[in-house]
Amino acid sequence: MSQIAANHPAPDITALSDEQWAHRLESFAKDARLHEDNISMPKAVASKIGLPMLVVGLLMLVVSAIGIFSVSFSHTLAGLEIGIFTILAISLGSLFWTMVFHALNAGWSITMRRQFENLASLVWIPALCLIAIAIIEVLNQGVLLTWLDPAVREGNHLLEVKAPYLNANFFIIRVFIYAICWIVLSRLLLGWSRKSDETGDRALGRKARFWSSFGIPVFALSTTFCAFDFLMSLDYRFFSTMWGVYFFASCALGSASTIAIVMTLTKSAGKLQGVVTNEHFHDLGKLVFAFIVFWTYVTFSQYFLIWYSNIPEETMWFTARREIGFDWLFKVMIIGHFIFPFLVLIWRPIKRSPKLLSIMGAYILVMIALDMAWIILPMLAVQDPSHATPKISEHLITVASVLGVVMIYGWFATMKMTKSPLIPTKDPMLHEALSHKNYV
Amino acid sequence: MNHKDLISFAADYFPMLVRKPAPKYVSESGNRIHGMVAEFHETPKVFHAAEMVRDAGYSKWDVHSPFPIHDIETAMGFKPTKLPMMAGAAAITGVSIGALLQWGTTTFLYPTVVQGKPFDAWEPFVPVMFELGILLTAFMCIFGMLALNGLPRFHHPLFSHERFYKVSDDRFMICIESHDPKFDPSATRALLEKAGGTDIALIEDDD
Repeated sequence: MSQIAANHPAPDITALSDEQWAHRLESFAKDARLHEDNISMPKAVASKIGLPMLVVGLLMLVVSAIGIFSVSFSHTLAGLEIGIFTILAISLGSLFWTMVFHALNAGWSITMRRQFENLASLVWIPALCLIAIAIIEVLNQGVLLTWLDPAVREGNHLLEVKAPYLNANFFIIRVFIYAICWIVLSRLLLGWSRKSDETGDRALGRKARFWSSFGIPVFALSTTFCAFDFLMSLDYRFFSTMWGVYFFASCALGSASTIAIVMTLTKSAGKLQGVVTNEHFHDLGKLVFAFIVFWTYVTFSQYFLIWYSNIPEETMWFTARREIGFDWLFKVMIIGHFIFPFLVLIWRPIKRSPKLLSIMGAYILVMIALDMAWIILPMLAVQDPSHATPKISEHLITVASVLGVVMIYGWFATMKMTKSPLIPTKDPMLHEALSHKNYV
Repeated sequence: MNHKDLISFAADYFPMLVRKPAPKYVSESGNRIHGMVAEFHETPKVFHAAEMVRDAGYSKWDVHSPFPIHDIETAMGFKPTKLPMMAGAAAITGVSIGALLQWGTTTFLYPTVVQGKPFDAWEPFVPVMFELGILLTAFMCIFGMLALNGLPRFHHPLFSHERFYKVSDDRFMICIESHDPKFDPSATRALLEKAGGTDIALIEDDD
């Protein structure tokens, strides 16, 4: 009976006895790699990368603010949304990975988990932005979300049928629910992880594991419906059951790519030497590679079924985009988001090299932003044909808005890194991550 | 892969086509010598012995163990396998066959109107290209792996060595094969003795 209890402990019990745990903590304390200098990020080092990002980000946001008056409000909002959904994808993906690592009791990723937790806990930035966007949309009666416009709703049978879901009040309530779900989940996980650094309470990992298992379905539903609300309902006629998975693919991919960049920068600052090794990068690279393929699989399946069944309200989503000057983006997605990274990341040396993997990570983030642009931007032209051939100033505003949002997020991320050790210092399975090795 | 390797590779599968090269070493009974085995009792010992054999520059040799030993591949100095390249070539072949097969038939040979779709639309080709790519890659992985390992085969000279059966129980063995360019009965025996091997024996090829 006690054996069974040891193998299947309740959330507050661990299989590790007090003596074993004290012994393990001792060995952590002796380990030279876990010395204070190696696993903490001083503010001065972090701001070397953080401050330029903040300056560039603020400048870009000023440029995009000018865009509100010089180009158009809707165009600037679309640009900002591309950036916001890129950083939302990064944060949500990190939340997903953190919960998956907890739920699966992953050992190898523990030395990288704190950065996933940090990025996940930054989800409040895109979440607050989404709330702001939702309020702006409702107050302006639809800037990008035309279904909020009373003139469009007037006598529109489709919107009458969809009214129980697509209405302003429920929309605002939903956005608040998503924000609360994400912020609470990410705060709890980071909080437990930080608390175990201080107290060495090994039951906290159990608790995180228990709640992560419930967190994953919550994450899945909130992410799916958020993607429905903000991205799919840009065109209220269009529907795709694959849409949530499509956005989730970008989440998991964006997060793994960003962690590759974060880890490479941290290592080049002389931190985490021997703690995060090429073995960890190799596995991270496998995740990036896997989700490149997953994104393609989901995206192509969606396109393929729509292409075959040929139902007007579905095909119009693609034909409209390709006919009003966004065909190039369609081709860029096929080649740039699948063929090129697939052929590059399939090579083992590239996954094992921090520099090359982080370059690929940055490239993939650009591709994710372009993917969001492919979803959001053409809707402007559908609403107002004068956007169909964008002027250079409009391109500039889009790029500036995206860069502004992402750079400010980057500054927040560097600041977050200085607030706690770079790894969970007293995780019961830390030794597994420290000696992690790929035997293939 | 030089031509000698190629010949011995072909000989594994088509023994009737290839005359085996004259043996370098024969035993007193006239049989060719397959190689020399040494026994080890502990994992660290066989691990360090493997490092010594690797450093001595042997290339045709193997370590036999009842269970997988972590890092033995670095101790043995394995070169990365060619299998990924072969699988990649198979994948490209599969995708190309899938594309050509469908494009040729639906666009040129039997253009048929299906649901009013264009004859040369690339979209319906993708699943078949994907599946054929996967199929040929999987075949290459399995059969390529078997071929690189010289499998399947009915018998192996090591099985004629009675003590060899202990490697499935409690013993480790290193076998250095006689067609290794560095193989020399006395020098190899000295090396294996220095590495801590016991019960060193020559194995005859009895086919």
